[in-house]
Amino acid sequence: MIHSLRMGNDSKAMQKIPDWNTYLLKVGTSQDKAAFGALFEYFSPRLKTFLMQGSNLSAENAEELVQEAMTKVWRRAPSFAPTQASASTWIYTIARNTRIDWFRKNSRQDPLLFHAEDLYGDNEEASPYSTLAQLRSTVSIHEQLNELPQEQSEVLNIMYFKGLSGQQTAEALAIPLGTVKSRIRLALKKLRVGLAVTGGNSGQGTNND
Amino acid sequence: MISKHPDPQALVEYSSGTLALATSIAVTTHLQLCRTCADATSSLNNLGGDMIDQAEATPVSEDLLQKVLSSIDEEPTKNADHNRTRSSVVDDVAHALPHYVRALLPQGSLQWQFLSPSLRVATLSVGEEENELALHRIKAGGKAPEHNHAGQEITVVLTGTFSDEEGIYQPGDFIVRQPGDVHRPMAAQNEECICLSVLAAPIKLTGINRLMNPFLRFSPS
Ligand SMILES: [Zn+2]
Repeated sequence: MIHSLRMGNDSKAMQKIPDWNTYLLKVGTSQDKAAFGALFEYFSPRLKTFLMQGSNLSAENAEELVQEAMTKVWRRAPSFAPTQASASTWIYTIARNTRIDWFRKNSRQDPLLFHAEDLYGDNEEASPYSTLAQLRSTVSIHEQLNELPQEQSEVLNIMYFKGLSGQQTAEALAIPLGTVKSRIRLALKKLRVGLAVTGGNSGQGTNND
Repeated sequence: MISKHPDPQALVEYSSGTLALATSIAVTTHLQLCRTCADATSSLNNLGGDMIDQAEATPVSEDLLQKVLSSIDEEPTKNADHNRTRSSVVDDVAHALPHYVRALLPQGSLQWQFLSPSLRVATLSVGEEENELALHRIKAGGKAPEHNHAGQEITVVLTGTFSDEEGIYQPGDFIVRQPGDVHRPMAAQNEECICLSVLAAPIKLTGINRLMNPFLRFSPS
């Protein structure tokens, strides 16, 4: 189950990335401001890039969102569970949810009836299922992402980093939506993201666990 | 043969935060009952985490950390609309809904309309023009009128079971019907069936600037 790919690049990657899980746990358990400062120094400039690229945000707006996201990181740190998500993944979901709400707030008149975290939270914070998935850490998924054919990783990069839907990705690359769908399917297979068997019999296997 | 799960594209859009809100509500509901898709979504979130790790660093203002630290020293201020409690949940169906669906109910109750003797529908507003979110309720043993739709329709079973020409569907099943599919759902004999559905508006989209994601609004680039 654990990655068997070459380790050359990744031993470097591992050295470069400190154990942010530990830092985040320290913030959560003892409101450790030094640990938070280290997390801030690493994640804030990356979140800023992510938010600016993914949403055509101005640098100023992106900083507002970074501030909001990092404030949430502090407040939510007590609920961080490294068995469910790595620090990077956990912070990613907070930034993504912050971005979603920002766009919803700015595209409508009436108040938000709920926040993105209310919708996503149930799965991402309380899922009893995610431990297995988490064994495949971001480091191992990074190796596998590097192994993907360029046309497949490109689609995923655009969707995550530029924040485009599948249809928008197809438009941006000037390829049919069906091609985007098949690249996603092939990429997920290579990344060993277990997908439910589609079609098939009346067995309902995946739902009856 | 029909799939009972969101397709990989929908899961990636869900994880990357670009899926329409109404559809995201349907996916969340499915994930609570489907271990395989919930695990897949967790793995996909790792892609997002990796993208953050690999992102170039754009320097932030020197005082940003200080701003964050001073805002965390203040009392956590929860957004007023976030905390609004729906005090009087009288409708028994409303009461059993997932909290993120209940949050959409204006008075804590549902306005049921009869579409046929055995089918009632209550629409919910998510503030999206592109999709209509609704609850459908089919009486035990009841048949919905045969229908066709102009836009794609997603159905997630909440309680009970229903069947149609292509299969039997149980709680959590996520069924996508394409425009033009004609079908006639029927609830099981022994139990009422309640489903959440997302009906896409039949809009033809042309050109990237018209492709306004309802969840994320992009300025035209
Ligand atoms: Zn599933």
